[in-house]
Amino acid sequence: MGKLTLYGIDGSPPVRSVLLTLKALGLDFEYKIVNLREGEHLKPEFLKINPLHTVPALEDDGFYLSDSHAINSYLVSKYGKDDSLYPKDLQKKAIVDQRLHYDSSAVTSAGLAIIRPIIFQDNWEIAQAKIDALDAVYKNLNLFLEKGDYLAGNNLTIVDFHLAAALTGLVVFLAVDSTKYPKLAEWIERVKKLPYYEEANGTAAAPFVALLKSKNFTIV
Amino acid sequence: MMNKIKISGNSSAVSCKPRENNEMGKLTLYGIDRSPPVRSVLLTLHALGVEFEFKIVNMKEKEHLKPEFLKINPLHTVPTLVDDGFCLSDSHAINSYLVSKYGKDDALYPKELQKRAIVDQRLHYDSSVVGPTGKAIVFPILHLNNTQIPQARIDALEGVYKNLNLILESGDYLAGNDLTIADFHVAAGVTGFVAFLEVDASKYPKLADWIQRIKELPYYEEANGTRVAQIVEFFKSTNFTIV
Repeated sequence: MGKLTLYGIDGSPPVRSVLLTLKALGLDFEYKIVNLREGEHLKPEFLKINPLHTVPALEDDGFYLSDSHAINSYLVSKYGKDDSLYPKDLQKKAIVDQRLHYDSSAVTSAGLAIIRPIIFQDNWEIAQAKIDALDAVYKNLNLFLEKGDYLAGNNLTIVDFHLAAALTGLVVFLAVDSTKYPKLAEWIERVKKLPYYEEANGTAAAPFVALLKSKNFTIV
Repeated sequence: MMNKIKISGNSSAVSCKPRENNEMGKLTLYGIDRSPPVRSVLLTLHALGVEFEFKIVNMKEKEHLKPEFLKINPLHTVPTLVDDGFCLSDSHAINSYLVSKYGKDDALYPKELQKRAIVDQRLHYDSSVVGPTGKAIVFPILHLNNTQIPQARIDALEGVYKNLNLILESGDYLAGNDLTIADFHVAAGVTGFVAFLEVDASKYPKLADWIQRIKELPYYEEANGTRVAQIVEFFKSTNFTIV
């Protein structure tokens, strides 16, 4: 059994979703920080691992894989004691896949639209439309949670890891209104109670959240 | 292979509850021709040779926001699939499900863990990069009456072409040496986006070859070709400018 190596940085929600999955599966792994600010992801050593130069990237005994959703699905399928985190049943899996792609498309674009200008351009003015787009995401997540305690039904799956990681930073800009989105507010608390949550997403996210809180943003 | 496809113009009331009898239910795809995700499902359905009904959703008339459609997809997006009472949205989830359920084999969505992981990574590249890059160009034209496209958005599309070409250095298809649903998703998108930026075969030879390879699939014309040709013509007719 070769070594599992995760390449990434704590600030990245997709990286933290993999940390949550690795902890949930109880796996040993090496965590190698890739310093994006110093352009480490663009250097030849990292391009060999992932020519698309994104994090997270996984190495499993010579097999390289990028994209957090693909990584988490692979990890559960290969190392899970059972399939609960990523069900094999066709209909259950289809619902999980739909939620995973919702994360990749709607949630990621809503998040990047707000966070990118802050991190890369020190621009703390956020267009109202971007806050509205994030509110629409909260609305849809709340809708998903009407079907069960977790985002893909009654059981915890990797979908919950992706969204927990993403929302950790985003709630700085728009709090989850528990009167408007009660199911979402409850779910956030439910996920925080997972035994490995603090280590994989709580403490890991803290410096990033502090950065997002370090200046006042204005909605324009 | 001829599919018995019925194309109808309105979405009559359907519920997401499973059927009470044991009859094999109908596969129904809800969508519109212009949507690349919808066309990726049409490619998959044709490749699988399964019978289905294609119901056009009149989005201009906000049909997708009406109660009947919200019942089958509260996110009111297309494509939406209804399979014998099971309602599913998102083209990637739909295509994965269709191959797993109806494929004679797993070639289009391999079960082997590493091969599947590579396909999944390509599918999420489509969701997170290819799709949004195209949408950023197309949305203002279709919905905001704005035909001035910022150069940065065309540059982003070229960035996608560059990455796809890089991916294709590893095999004839996007996930390796065999055709998979990943090819359907990206082909449905790129064959429309070329209206704004052609694929320069000298810069991106692998990508250009791959597009030709996809166009040679026997069901390509019916599932994607004729539909996307109309869309490309429409975009060109808007006399868009790159600013």
